[in-house]
Amino acid sequence: MPNKDETLLRVEHLCQYFKQNKAVDDVSFEIKKGEVFGLVGESGCGKTTTGRSIIKLYDITSGSVYFKGERIAAGTRSYKLNIEAAKKKYEDELKELEQSGRSNEEKDKLRREKKEELDRYIAQQKQEIHSARADHRKHKVVTDIQMIFQDPIASLDPRMTVGQIIAEGLRIRGEKNKKELDEKVYQALEMVGLVREHAGRYPHEFSGGQRQRIGVARAVVMNPELIIADEPVSALDVSIQAQVINLLDDLRHKMGLTILFIAHDLSVVKYFSDRIGVMYFGKLVELADSDELFAHPLHPYTKSLLSAIPLPDPEYEKRRKRITYVPLRDHDYTVDQPTLREVLPGHFVHCNQAEFERYRRETGAADEA
Amino acid sequence: MEEKKLSVNNLVISFRTPGGKVQAVRNISFDLRKGETLAIVGESGSGKSVTSKAILGILAGNSIVEGGSIIYDGMDLLKVGEDEFYRIRGDRIAMIFQDPLSSLNPIMQIGKQLTEAMLLKGKARQKSSRTAFNTTLDRLAEAMAAARPSEGAQKASQMCKNFDRFEMKHIELEKAYGEAHEAAGEAGDAISDVLFHIEKNAFEDQKYSLKEIIRLSGETVNEYVVSGSDRERLKKLLEELKSCMNSEIRKKEYPETVRILKELSGILESALKKEQPDFSSMGCYLVDSGKPLPDMPIAQLNSFLKEYADEHFMNEFRAWMREALEYNAKTYNDKKKLVIDAIGERKQTFAGTDWDKKACQDAAAALCSAVNESIDPLEVEKDGEAYTFAETLKAAVSDYFEGIQKNRKAVALHDKQQKKYDGLKARGKEPGWKVPPSTAVDLDLVRDNVNAILDRMAAHYQERLENAKNVDFVGRMSGLEEFFKENASGVVMRITKRMAKYKALKLMEEVGITETRKRYRQYPFEFSGGMRQRIVIAIALAANPDILICDEPTTALDVTIQAQILELINKLKKDRNLSIIFITHDLGVVANMADRIAVMYAGKIVETGTSEDVFYSPAHPYTWALLSAMPDLETNERLEAIPGTPPNMIYPPVGDAFADRNKYALKIDFEMQPPMFQISETHSAATWLLHPDAPKVEPPKIVTDRIARMKLKGGAINAE
Repeated sequence: MPNKDETLLRVEHLCQYFKQNKAVDDVSFEIKKGEVFGLVGESGCGKTTTGRSIIKLYDITSGSVYFKGERIAAGTRSYKLNIEAAKKKYEDELKELEQSGRSNEEKDKLRREKKEELDRYIAQQKQEIHSARADHRKHKVVTDIQMIFQDPIASLDPRMTVGQIIAEGLRIRGEKNKKELDEKVYQALEMVGLVREHAGRYPHEFSGGQRQRIGVARAVVMNPELIIADEPVSALDVSIQAQVINLLDDLRHKMGLTILFIAHDLSVVKYFSDRIGVMYFGKLVELADSDELFAHPLHPYTKSLLSAIPLPDPEYEKRRKRITYVPLRDHDYTVDQPTLREVLPGHFVHCNQAEFERYRRETGAADEA
Repeated sequence: MEEKKLSVNNLVISFRTPGGKVQAVRNISFDLRKGETLAIVGESGSGKSVTSKAILGILAGNSIVEGGSIIYDGMDLLKVGEDEFYRIRGDRIAMIFQDPLSSLNPIMQIGKQLTEAMLLKGKARQKSSRTAFNTTLDRLAEAMAAARPSEGAQKASQMCKNFDRFEMKHIELEKAYGEAHEAAGEAGDAISDVLFHIEKNAFEDQKYSLKEIIRLSGETVNEYVVSGSDRERLKKLLEELKSCMNSEIRKKEYPETVRILKELSGILESALKKEQPDFSSMGCYLVDSGKPLPDMPIAQLNSFLKEYADEHFMNEFRAWMREALEYNAKTYNDKKKLVIDAIGERKQTFAGTDWDKKACQDAAAALCSAVNESIDPLEVEKDGEAYTFAETLKAAVSDYFEGIQKNRKAVALHDKQQKKYDGLKARGKEPGWKVPPSTAVDLDLVRDNVNAILDRMAAHYQERLENAKNVDFVGRMSGLEEFFKENASGVVMRITKRMAKYKALKLMEEVGITETRKRYRQYPFEFSGGMRQRIVIAIALAANPDILICDEPTTALDVTIQAQILELINKLKKDRNLSIIFITHDLGVVANMADRIAVMYAGKIVETGTSEDVFYSPAHPYTWALLSAMPDLETNERLEAIPGTPPNMIYPPVGDAFADRNKYALKIDFEMQPPMFQISETHSAATWLLHPDAPKVEPPKIVTDRIARMKLKGGAINAE
């Protein structure tokens, strides 16, 4: 068994802006080795963007992504902002200095000191930018992280055979021996429950569930440590969904995989994940163990999300009341800005101080009862 | 029991493909009642979408409808021509498609696509409503005259004319009131929304909402909503708001706006509390007396008007109408008796195996006209059996005689091939092909079919006659009045471009699209998948249909939006008394929506029952499999996926189609198709496991556990 405490992936203050649009805004989390981390939220909340930023399909705006302790992706915006803020502060201080009633000599001296301090700070930040860029460039391709896409039809090239599709990653990595390549492809096919003969066929000859299996085979053939599964089952029928989930579950135990599972179907996420992060408009609003999250949701958005899950129980459904989430009504952030705080051990909520204290009281009461 | 809206009987549909004939739907029957949701659940390829497309008459070109009927409003939708279908499709039966991109025009702005149908159908509806109103009124006049021959036709037609005028005036007044009242409600909501945002210090750049409030408040001016001194105050306030609005938005401080809005909402609130006047009597009074309304409080006014209307017109009219209805029922019941007699007489023609073409066709024509004559035109609730009798009988009879012709050729071809095959065999060769089965029509079956149609008709009329004494004439009268009212409002309702745009914007808001004004001008490719789906739903709802078919409407959406859309559909169902056919593969969604559920597999319905039946005591192994493949919030054990794939329907299995993937399959499942076993009045399933001789089999543990859990908690899973 892999060591559960080892951190495989660490995301720190990840920001991904598309011009004015803050798709992902200051998201931080860790994924331990061997666990399944679920990321849920409504469409457009930035969960897919987070997944793609980690695998470097985008150049991130700010923040860093550490994989096995090494920084594989980094953005520079925060440092640039720091420099600008420092410059502004310096100018303000100069103005203040002009107006103060000190002697000219004293003013000169202070001015010089401040200038030096500023230069030092800028140099330090520039150094950071430099190292971030270097780290970002150094790890151009990360083959230890693989991705499974949502739409099994759109993500497979219709002009390539299944064998070519699966082998493509290996070939790009530099595998040349044809025989070895084929052997690996066959192994991967068998691992996902297909047979060797399927390697010669084209994607359109397969049913939806089988196509998703091909997508999984393409990911596992690289022998990755982390798989980012971006809504792998939402385009599938219920019966086939179960097949794919069971397959991922088997592979995870067999290969000791770590999975970042992105989905919007909460029942599936709850069933499959160890820990769950809830995203809302680019922010991570709550993060906890999956049982804990479903038992004691704290953030109002999580509550509204949980209240929207349909269950196969007509009596319950007749009584189910959906809670709506209106940020303006539910929070008062005019004075104190919210951050991600740890309310209970391992249970983080995006809140400000007042809410933090309220949540603590609530959970304390919940625990006693 | 509720009125049947739609009934599908023994529907069989196949598709011609290069590989052979694929049997997509194999003999399914179901009824859809008024105001209920029927869910059809099954895997992809089980024939659920094909069924819904058949209802809308949009099957693909290579489809063959092999038999059955779909009866809606006295029509068999399988036999209706394309021209007639234009009036039904989208207007009375609307559909929300699975793939939103394929049902939107890529080079047309969203707004235009939303309003297009409204504008087109608006005109057509006005015309058709007028015709329906007039013809039924004429029939009523005729019946009235016939019921009271002594007083003459003159009086009857005069009365009907008066009724026409009163009704139109009534609807006009009511419509104006309804619009103003609705505007007041909306303006009130918008105001409280703006006030809330201002209070929270988050009101910015929402110029539109203030403008919207001004527009809505302006529309509330109506004699019975905002009038008199309130009206003057409202106008003054709106002027003030207009003048201060822009500068305050610029300054981002809203002292004046808040004051004005609060005062406005006071006016609107009191307006909403006012009692609604009796427009039906008012229309009568205004037209009949030609005098203005007396000045008195609404409650008093209502009783005054009612008294006036009853005295001067309504009592007499109702009495006449009742007599006319009774007279008509009696006359047509006599004609129904004639039909039964005629069927008894003519049945001889269709007896035996040797039919005479001329005699048969004559008999069929005579019966058809007899049945057509026996239909009471004043029955608002159409008798599907009688209305479709003529078409069905004619088609069956011509099937027989055409079949005789075709069979000669088919038999000759088959014999030739068989000879060739036998010849090859005789010479000791093994031919690499098989003789295709003969395509000859089974004439016995057609004959039986014709006789069954006749018997059914006779039995149906017999039943109607037996029930003739229990007919609720009061109910039928109010039904007729309702019919007139509906059509009158169809005539009065005129849809202008501006109104259509406003309605479209409201619909977009209703389905959860923000920034509607901006979105209104965008093209489909600028929307995300979920947004597109909402547009499609809005378009389907725009026509205000009778029956809504939802083909996996929420499969591509995430939970919160799915919940919103489902709630929206449920709300519309309640508000408009819609009948819904809901097609999905996700049983979780269905529990929320469905009154009844039909589980389909390989073109057949394998289990049907109320949603409680199917979720709390599922009986078919396929239903078990579907339920166990789906995780819920408390599932921890391994999911039971259904092994394999659905069968190839070019060669449908002899026995139960699910037998191959079913671990509970018995030997007989591979040999013979199970019939539908009735479990309770509402619940039945097609599986041999329900046969008295079958071994006792329990559903899988994951299913029984869940049901036990649901019962234990009284269905309150996760209700903390």
